Amino acid sequence: MGYLKYLVFRIANAILVLLIVTFIISALFVKVAEESNRSKMYEELMQWERTEGAKIKQSQGMEAFEQAKAAKKAALEEKYELNIPYWQKVYKKAIRTLKLNFGTTSMPIFGTNSVADIIKVAVPRSILLFTTATIIVIILGIFLGVRAARHAGSVFDRALSIFALLTYSLPMWWTGMMFLLIFAFKLGWFPLSSMFDPQLTGWAHVKDVIYKLTLPVLTYVFVVFGGWAWTTRNIMIGTLQEDFIMAARAKGVPEHKIIYGHALRAAAPPIVTMIIFALLGSLGGAIISELVFNYPGMGRLYWVALQQNETNLLIGLTYFSTVLYLAGVVLADMIYGFLDPRVKVGASAKM
Amino acid sequence: MRWVDIKEGFKEFLEEFKREKTGIAGVILLILLVLVALTAPYTTMPDLPDKWRSSAYWEDNPKNVPPTWYNMFTSQKLVSQQVYYVDNLKISHPSDTDTVIEADYTFPEGYYYGPQGIIIKGINVTLNAPSQAPTMDIYLLRPDGKKIPLLKNKQLSSSTTISIGRDSTISTNVYIWMVNVTEGREITPFEVPLETILISDMVAPMFAKVEPGMDTEKIIENPEPLWGNYKLILEVKNPAPKYNQVDYNNIKMTFLGRSYGTMGTDYLGRDLWAGIIWGSRVSLTIGILVSIFSTVIGLVYGVTSAYLGGNVDEFMMRINEIFASIPSLPILILIGATLGHVTLWFIVVLLVIFGWMGTARIARSMALQIKEQTYIEAARALGAGNGRIIFKHILPQLLPYAFAVIALSVPGAVISEASLSFLGIGDPSAVTWGQILHAAQAQSATTKGYWWWVLPPGLGIAVVGLTFVLIGTALDKILNPRLRRL
Repeated sequence: MGYLKYLVFRIANAILVLLIVTFIISALFVKVAEESNRSKMYEELMQWERTEGAKIKQSQGMEAFEQAKAAKKAALEEKYELNIPYWQKVYKKAIRTLKLNFGTTSMPIFGTNSVADIIKVAVPRSILLFTTATIIVIILGIFLGVRAARHAGSVFDRALSIFALLTYSLPMWWTGMMFLLIFAFKLGWFPLSSMFDPQLTGWAHVKDVIYKLTLPVLTYVFVVFGGWAWTTRNIMIGTLQEDFIMAARAKGVPEHKIIYGHALRAAAPPIVTMIIFALLGSLGGAIISELVFNYPGMGRLYWVALQQNETNLLIGLTYFSTVLYLAGVVLADMIYGFLDPRVKVGASAKM
Repeated sequence: MRWVDIKEGFKEFLEEFKREKTGIAGVILLILLVLVALTAPYTTMPDLPDKWRSSAYWEDNPKNVPPTWYNMFTSQKLVSQQVYYVDNLKISHPSDTDTVIEADYTFPEGYYYGPQGIIIKGINVTLNAPSQAPTMDIYLLRPDGKKIPLLKNKQLSSSTTISIGRDSTISTNVYIWMVNVTEGREITPFEVPLETILISDMVAPMFAKVEPGMDTEKIIENPEPLWGNYKLILEVKNPAPKYNQVDYNNIKMTFLGRSYGTMGTDYLGRDLWAGIIWGSRVSLTIGILVSIFSTVIGLVYGVTSAYLGGNVDEFMMRINEIFASIPSLPILILIGATLGHVTLWFIVVLLVIFGWMGTARIARSMALQIKEQTYIEAARALGAGNGRIIFKHILPQLLPYAFAVIALSVPGAVISEASLSFLGIGDPSAVTWGQILHAAQAQSATTKGYWWWVLPPGLGIAVVGLTFVLIGTALDKILNPRLRRL
């Protein structure tokens, strides 16, 4: 029962955090929206004063003008939701968001106004690019990392370590710019923009997508896999020095089995945590890299929302990535309990 | 801990650190970087950030040209910048009212294009009789004996700047001359196609082969270089020398290069090398400050949380999770964009606010172990307060770990700062690598192939990052002996 109780506690905890974060982001975005709406309102009011207001002033005198102006202002305040108190608005937005009712945007994006639909269009694109790339990175990273750990100190291990340290300090978007310069501009192998051609269907569409995705995927893999391999290597080296590995070797277990059966399994919890966070994180896209490649995924959508002040979309996107992160935390906790028998939680921990 | 112990421990640590080759490499790199950052005003130019945004200051530089050393790698050699002051010019006075200034320019053999343009400025005029203002004619005498009339009867004043290549009148004159040579007919300025003048490079044809029978459009599109000695002639007529004085002592004539300096120039003609050198200051400062502050805050927070335990611990960890689960980059962009002018200090604060959570969590788990040790119990039994135990007994144990974390979190901080600048959110009174890349992206430097603009800032970021990663991993190796390979 201890495990279940622990799990329930963790989930409740995550939900509590999600509640608070939703309120915080609603408060923040509503504040920003209110400011921009206020300036928009005054702009419109000034516009009105210069055109219709001036006419009223001429024909009906000052008093009528003041009345008309007050009426116009009230109408505008209602239009821009400035007549509702701030905290009430925040509360309403937060509750609506928690009910997954994200509302609509003022300008259509991807041909729709509904925030939920917009996100539904963008998420598969980010999955296509970043999740694919992340899976490649995980496989490559673990494989190379295990190899390096087996031959620690070898030329391969050193080369991998140096490569990992180098790529760790590279901004991914800059690497993207450089890859664009080299592979797209100089060599002309890949397109300069990764925006899909909407007219293509069927096989031509698939080909177009593959052609346009290759360079971003390559960039991502290039920048990230070194770090993965290096982390895996460090974890594995620690595990390989444990006594049970020596015992297995003494028993005569084949080396291959020791590495993948015993050592990797014992090293699994931190690696699985990394995998969970990498996979969930990949759904959120990457703002700057997508801008560099002009790729229409979640990251670029975020940027568009920020530029156009689409509060509902911003709240929706932020809520989405917060949920992903918290889901990752809960999942990681769950799997830790499964994989690592040393993690004793709940009632058993107190014994 | 007594002072002697600290000294002893430090000595031992130094001994161990000296054996780490990567660590030593990192320290050497760090010293080099700090030197570069500190000497920036002397090695490049003082007060660059003030000049960076004034396009007038960079007027005398060619725009979007690669560095000079690029010539070593290309078959199409590019001429470099050449500046003439009064001493390098031939100034003669054929009569009282006339002055002729000549500049000798050699277009060396094997080079691909001539200069990107010519800028003449610094002629001082004291005007007392405006009706008889001095005027100037400009000609270019070419090695094939042809003479291009560039400008006629241009009225001179002290602020006059003549920029061949950016002035459409001069470009028009060049076009008229070309048609005259190739087709043998005179055309009026109205017959000159405006889009050709405005879009194409009209300076290259001046330094290219133009012969009768050739096609004007083809020359403009694909000029064939004409090597040899050129002469730029300025004829100044001053009809009233008694009233209007023309002073040539400050004259400056610049033949804009097709290549420039150590790192080339960007779209405003700014010297990118100076920008890169100055950018290192911001990157280093922000990187180090952010990582120190966020590590210290994270440590204190984590240790406090672990030591106090119970409900306080739960509460503090929830706050930690709240911060960790908010996606930081969009929030940073939002805050930066709404505030408009953001100072570097404010960026440091923002990055620290979203940068302490990971350290706090690790510090907490480490402190949970330390907390159970007997000496802590002893201290408590002796009546030590919470603050004393946390700061005096637990935190010092985590210090070695803290240094490794500080070093390892610098690259992240540097990249975050660069990312914000890249999105156009940053201190407008500073020159940063991110801002240089922002300009490069805005001018689509990648799709135009301006590698000298994109490559160096990113390399700078990578070098700063690498420096601290090298130091950090060396520290980590010493502190985590399990990673050390036998």
